Amino acid sequence: MSRGRSWNLVLIAGLLFFAALVGLPFWWVISGSFKIPQEIIARIPTLFPQSFTLEHYQKLLSSSDYGTYLVNSLVVSSLSAFITLLLAIPAGYAFFRLEFKGRETYYRIILLAYAFPSIVVLIPLFGMFAKAGLVDTRLALIIVNVAFALPFAIWMLRSFFASIPKEIEEAARLDGGPPLTVLWRIMIPLTAPGIAAVAIFAFVTSWTEYVFASVMILSDARRTIPVGFSGIIGQYQVDWGLLLAGASLAILPVVIVFAFIGRWFVTGLTEGAVK
Amino acid sequence: MKIALRTLLATAMLTVPATAFADAVEITLWHMEQPPHRVDRIQMLIDEFNAANPDIVVSQEPQNWGEIYAKAPAALAAGTGPDMLFAIPDFAPILKEMGALTSVEDFVAELDAEHDFVDSTIEAYSYDDGVWAVPLYNMTLNLWYRKSVLEEAGLDVPTSWDEWRAAAEALTTDGRFGMGLPANRQLYTDQTIYSVMVNGGASEIYSEDGSLRFDNEDTVAAYDFYNSMMEFSPPDATSWTWGEAEACFASASCGMIMQFTVISTYENQAEGDASDLGVAAIPTRDGSGDNATIAYANAVLLLSQEEAEREASQEFIRFLLQPENYGRFLNMEPGLFMPVTADGATADSFWSDPVVQEYRDQIETVIENGQNGKLFGFTSGRVFPAIASISAQNVLAETLQSVVVSDMDPADAVEAGQARMEDLSR
Amino acid sequence: MARKPILAFAFVAPALLFLAATLAWPLVSAFVLSLQNVRGIGTSGQWVGLENYRFILTYAAFWESAGLSLIWVLANAVVQTLLALAAALILHQKFPGVRIARTWIILTWIVPTVVVVMIWRWLFSTSGGMINPLLIQLGILDRPVGFFATPESAFATLVFINSWRWFPFIALMMLAGLSRIPTELYEAARIDGASAFKRFTRITWPLLAPTLTVLLIIGTLLSFNVFDIIWLMTQGGPAGGTRTLPILIYETAFRSYRMSEAATIAVLATVLLMAFAVLATRSLARSGDER
Repeated sequence: MSRGRSWNLVLIAGLLFFAALVGLPFWWVISGSFKIPQEIIARIPTLFPQSFTLEHYQKLLSSSDYGTYLVNSLVVSSLSAFITLLLAIPAGYAFFRLEFKGRETYYRIILLAYAFPSIVVLIPLFGMFAKAGLVDTRLALIIVNVAFALPFAIWMLRSFFASIPKEIEEAARLDGGPPLTVLWRIMIPLTAPGIAAVAIFAFVTSWTEYVFASVMILSDARRTIPVGFSGIIGQYQVDWGLLLAGASLAILPVVIVFAFIGRWFVTGLTEGAVK
Repeated sequence: MKIALRTLLATAMLTVPATAFADAVEITLWHMEQPPHRVDRIQMLIDEFNAANPDIVVSQEPQNWGEIYAKAPAALAAGTGPDMLFAIPDFAPILKEMGALTSVEDFVAELDAEHDFVDSTIEAYSYDDGVWAVPLYNMTLNLWYRKSVLEEAGLDVPTSWDEWRAAAEALTTDGRFGMGLPANRQLYTDQTIYSVMVNGGASEIYSEDGSLRFDNEDTVAAYDFYNSMMEFSPPDATSWTWGEAEACFASASCGMIMQFTVISTYENQAEGDASDLGVAAIPTRDGSGDNATIAYANAVLLLSQEEAEREASQEFIRFLLQPENYGRFLNMEPGLFMPVTADGATADSFWSDPVVQEYRDQIETVIENGQNGKLFGFTSGRVFPAIASISAQNVLAETLQSVVVSDMDPADAVEAGQARMEDLSR
Repeated sequence: MARKPILAFAFVAPALLFLAATLAWPLVSAFVLSLQNVRGIGTSGQWVGLENYRFILTYAAFWESAGLSLIWVLANAVVQTLLALAAALILHQKFPGVRIARTWIILTWIVPTVVVVMIWRWLFSTSGGMINPLLIQLGILDRPVGFFATPESAFATLVFINSWRWFPFIALMMLAGLSRIPTELYEAARIDGASAFKRFTRITWPLLAPTLTVLLIIGTLLSFNVFDIIWLMTQGGPAGGTRTLPILIYETAFRSYRMSEAATIAVLATVLLMAFAVLATRSLARSGDER
């Protein structure tokens, strides 16, 4: 596709705008985390660090259980993603392919789940979890996160299944395969990129969740990164250096993960199924 | 991959904490002193205590002020709450109302005989025929400044509101704000506006009979004065909490601030010159020298209903208040936490801390200023349950915002503030 | 196609039951709570019938919050959609590094909300923050301003922050919609000599519209429910200027300790959202994009 020169200029300007919009805040945070305290709160801030120190990281790592938070976050997010897929794949397939009474109604009800102010379910859920002995467990967080990711996951999967050419699926069905086999052998492999995207969506939803994790988890050993991070904010003093170091370390894991799988998320979303 | 997932699942399902000692009493302490160095200091004392008391295992779980209002009642109702909770006076009525507190009058009397509590700290928890918590540490607001900055501007330390405003105006120059004052709807602003109120004769928000007397001339005068100071405060002061004020002072962007302490920030993030750091009592309306301030007598609430856990908690509190431990406990944040006992105020463990030694003058001033500490809603010897909501909803600060942010006339705002308090007392 | 109700049930039931237990049941208990006069958590109350509804529906703060929520949803929809559409159209082009751009634009969405709040609170602050000096250097401002100083600017700043967090995700969803438009259509249009603007209005927009509608519906529900960013940033202030309904619910429950009144507001908010969602999905079904 060829473009005119003025179009190219518009494109470059747009790109620069978005690069600054997304990139600059992160640059400031990460570069700030290496500045000495006096430079961080200086009246005239510096775009490029004039000083270099690792003291904030040393302080952070020596005094908080960052490793524990990280493991908790990874466990909770991976399992949330896994269980979301476990529930969403059959449901998404059924809503797309299988005919049953009230299919459209149920499908809409599922999307209506987002009509709940999530704050509403906080107290009743806390009561339920207390009765079931789940307060202060990572399982409680997994349940909550799956509940929030599931409706959207089903909706996305249904549209991915829909993008598979009908002929492929019908050929499989004519071969006499039962729906479960068709799903497992044909549909899942064909929609693998889409499924990966859904898994990443569920993972991120869980990774970023704060409100429920902050109330449901009581002990330090089971905190996730967002809650552990809010812990270093402190009440009476703000140590910006420590905060910036904490922010950088909270960003780092997902950035590493995305460096490997980020591509799939985009292709998964855009293509959904293998063409 | 599958096996890995199964292992992960099993790990996540492991909900039962491992018991350290089969027959030891395990007790949990919650507190909101979350900065890492404070947690470390508390852990050090816990470790010593656990080593000396093999039949008790104390553990701590730091919590966040932002969440504790939801979390503590929910956890207690669900039976998963802590055995001990460090909290402020406003918080006790909330838990008392849900029946989670038992009077500790006898225990406090025992400790009082041994260590001699500052009376006002016990009073903050004495009402409804009981004492509901054991005072642990005191916090008072003060006026902090740099001596060199005042000198340069040819100013004396202000003692009256007029002098204070003149000083703020004189210190406001290009790139510097004379007086950093918050106007956020948040606890810090409750504290600063109340500190102005107590120095203008408006310390009581309740009459003896429990009716509200917030709406009076003195309160209006305090709000009016505070509002007139806002022009010398940074533009984002309406979203400030304690940290922003300290950062403003540390970077010398603020000439003066009202704060519990700035010592550790000043020492670590600013020039750290002890001889230049000034602290004074908050000026009074007429400059009479009868200065008062807000005082937060933090205390420990005993929450377990089981006898064995209560006994163990009491043992731990006895340990903390021992003069040889108490100073180290207070110095988890040097200059912030002031002793609530007579033998704590003279304890070696308190004064021998290197930072405390360096800033000895300032800390002595803070302790002296704290002698006339008050806390809204806890001044009359009786406590009315609605004070918990009034404090949790930050009505004092909300009223200030009506004046500062919404340009309401102070008299109207204070009247509306009282109406809001009455609504919360419903 | 054969009807296999049992099999379909086995496929759908786990997800439905899970959602019923975690979302629907708590909503029922919120409704039960709204008919009582429970105050603090863990305390009991009496049945008061519809008394709470009568009170809340005449409670000025409720209507103020409802109005703010409406503006919040609209403002976010506009800002997010415009940013996302621009980003999606750019990312749909071919240029060197497009893959990298497509992957990393999502950075704002994968960062925990607490961190997002921290980042912007620092950047917007007047002590050490970068935004004020930047705007002064660019000549837009002549002295530092408080972005959270007035209700209006705090609200606008929060809309910006929330949109900043969400627009890349929406942009990628739009990109997905764009990439499903057959390229042959554009080729044909080009041969017919249609201008770029015409190609956009005649091909891109109509074919993208269904995706946009779904995104708008879900986006509306999601942004209505935004709680953490607002709460952690302004706690609904200043002067109540950012107290949307979720904030009011939380405050009523955990600051005023009136659980039943909070539940009542929650039920009313849910009914409102449900009504919107039902109407919106119905119009969507009528326009016939869903298969």
